[in-house]
Formats: sequence, structure tokens, C-alpha cells
Amino acid sequence: MTEEDKHPGQRPDLILNGVGSAAGGDYDKVLIDGVGKVMDSLSARLFKANGQIRVKGKLKTAEVEVNGIMNLEGPLRMNTMKLDGILHVEGGIAGESCVLNGLLTAKGDCELEEFRGVGGFTIEGLLSAGRMDIRLAGAGQAHEIGVETLKVRQEDQSLWNRLLGGIIPKLKPVLTAKVIEGDDLDLEYTNADVVRGNHVIIGQGCSAGLVEYRTGLTVHPGARVGKEVKTGD
Amino acid sequence: MEDDLISKKELLDLTGISYGQLYRWKRKQLIPEEWFIRKSTFTGQETFFPRMLIQARIRNILNMKDDLSLDELASRLADAEGYSEIRLTREAIIERNIVTDIAMSAYGTEVQSKGDLYSFGQLLHLYAADTLLAKGDMSLDEGKLLLRTLEKHAGVLTGKPCELYFIRKMGVALFLLAPSPAELYFDEGVRLVAKVALGDLIEQLKGRLS
Repeated sequence: MTEEDKHPGQRPDLILNGVGSAAGGDYDKVLIDGVGKVMDSLSARLFKANGQIRVKGKLKTAEVEVNGIMNLEGPLRMNTMKLDGILHVEGGIAGESCVLNGLLTAKGDCELEEFRGVGGFTIEGLLSAGRMDIRLAGAGQAHEIGVETLKVRQEDQSLWNRLLGGIIPKLKPVLTAKVIEGDDLDLEYTNADVVRGNHVIIGQGCSAGLVEYRTGLTVHPGARVGKEVKTGD
Repeated sequence: MEDDLISKKELLDLTGISYGQLYRWKRKQLIPEEWFIRKSTFTGQETFFPRMLIQARIRNILNMKDDLSLDELASRLADAEGYSEIRLTREAIIERNIVTDIAMSAYGTEVQSKGDLYSFGQLLHLYAADTLLAKGDMSLDEGKLLLRTLEKHAGVLTGKPCELYFIRKMGVALFLLAPSPAELYFDEGVRLVAKVALGDLIEQLKGRLS
């Protein structure tokens, strides 16, 4: 573990290799390879982690890259995130974009401008995004979803089962939410109590208790919809 | 409290905005988290908003969004700081129709402090008096009492949600300022003439200023 000061006024880097732990604080770059533990909240310009990482606090950074398994015991605030593997957040997530390749869980709300990728997620609060484009390879769960555009597809299962089957226990690639609201909703394999939107496509494998739409609704013959209501004007 | 709330659906129908816009504005913190009130209804869970606040806020956003980016808007709306810098002359206030002529000539001299300029706080007090006058609930003289009350105590309550009660008993006017939510119970001779949330007034005033 090295922690060196650079030019005066510039924040130091945190570099952790192998097995070890570090203090929290304010850094420029945080690079963790191996099994690392950070004892307190972190703020950094760049956070890059490979391996198994635990952060006992908040994380605030412009750029996050995680390869492996990470546990964050506080909220996450970032600009961009690239996640390959599993990230558990014991709080909310707020940021610009997230590219998912694996599994993301959050105890709080998740607010992103762009959320795309392959995998599964569990958001216990509100999942709010500008554009959301997900190919499900595991269970997608959110209490509530509020978006501008949403596209949900099922990833080719056999390939993924081979890659991640050992890590993710629940592999039923279905999106579940109480309420889904948005402008353009393009859903497949989705279970929701209520779906509300301007232009709604209920694709195959969907089941919705109530669908409210303003401009258009398309329902796949294989989908189950309890009640369709046209709202507005 | 029930009729002070508006459901999300009703709000979208009234304002013509979409779900996407609403969520986007929430993410950009143009609409504070506290205004999203979740309640169980017979159709499941529904989201409600404080009616006056959200409508004024959405009008403000819609008016300003063409000229400013959402981030600029957020900082403009989030802090009263931008507004607290505001100093307006008497003429500008009347010209922009923020406070009516009548209220201005009756109370203008009461609240004025430095030179010929009015701060946001003072404007707010004038605006409160003006609103009550316009409703016909309050006489000109009682307005002076209101302004003195506000001037003396509003400072303590800055930044906290707070409500102004205007009550009458046997023709005598009383003003109360209480942090909300407060439950006040009066004896039976008391008539509650008006109850105004200062937050609503601030929101409306911001709309007029922008």
C-alpha cells in the first residue's frame, strides 16, 4: 500500500494491491486490486477497483469502474459508472450514467440519466432514469420506475448462464416493479401492478394489472393486461 | 390537509407535462423530494404533491426552461440565495405588478429600510399583506399589524416551513406565525379568517420575480 503526496495542493492517490485496508478521505485516484477494505467515506476523482472491495461509508467520485464484487455501506454519488460484476449499495445511487454488466443492488433510490447494460438489479426505492435500456440476464426489481424512455429485453440466457450462473443465484430474467411510469415504455418480460405512459408497448411475457396510456398502446398477444385505460384529452 | 394535495395524474393533466419530465426535474432537484408524498389509495400507492407549491413551481420551470439549462434552473430554484440578493425600487415593484399600488402606498414606507430599495424578505411581507388585502379579508390598518408581526418574527423562522394564521375574535384581529405542520385549536368565539403557508407565498413571489 502506498499513499504518496504529489504536488502541494493536489490530492493524493490511494493505491491498494493485495490484501489490505485503508483509511477514507479525499483522493485524486483510488486504485484497488485484490481484497481491499476502506474504513471510511471516500471521495475521489477516479475510483477503479478490481477484486473484492468493501467501503465502509459513502463514495463520491466522478468515475467509477468496478470489476468484481464491491460492497458500499453508504450512498454512491458519481458521474459515470462502469460495472462488471456485482455492486451492493447500502444507500441511494445518483449519477449521470451507468453501464451495467452484472448485478446492481441499492437500498435506496437510484437516479441516473442513462442506465443501460446487461444483467440484473434490485432497487428498493425509486429507479429513475432518463434513458434506460436493459437486457435482463437476472432478476430486475424496483419498487417504482420513473423514466423518460425504457426498453427492456431478455438477454440470450444460455450464454449468460454459463458466464454468471455460479455467481447469481436468482436467474429468472424478469423485470418486476409495482409502478412503471414514463414517456416511452417498451417492455418485455415485465410484471407490474401499474404501467403509465404516453406511448406504451407491452411485449411478450408481460403481465400488468393496469395500463394507462395517452397516445398509443400495443399489446403482444402473449401478454396479460388486466385493464387498459386511455387518459388525457 | 386532503384538499391541499394534488395527485400526480391530476397534476400532469392540468399542466400538460409528461411523466418523463416530472422525473427528470426531480432528478435535477428542481422539485424537492419532500414534495413527493406517497399515500395508499384503493388503486394501490399513489403519489401526491402539495397543490399550491407544485403548481407554482411547475409554472416557474415551464416559464424559465427555454432560457436556462436545467442545471442553471436547479440552482436558481433551490436556493433563495439568488433572490435574497434582489433589491427593487418602489417603481419597479409596481411596474412589474409584484405588489399592487394600494398596498405599496399604504405599507411601502413601513417596511422600507435602506434608501429606496426593497429586499426579498421585505417584498415577501408586502406580498403577504397584498394577498390578504386582495382577498378582502383584512383592512388596511390590520395590514400594518401584519407587517410588524412579520418583520419582528419572520427572521427566526427563515428556512423553516411556516404558516401565517389570521384570526379574529369579536372584531379584533390577531396574527399568528407558527412553524408547520402545527395544529392550532381556538376557542369557539374565534374565526379563522385566513391561513397562508409562507412557502406558497415565496414560491408565488419567485414566479413573479422571474
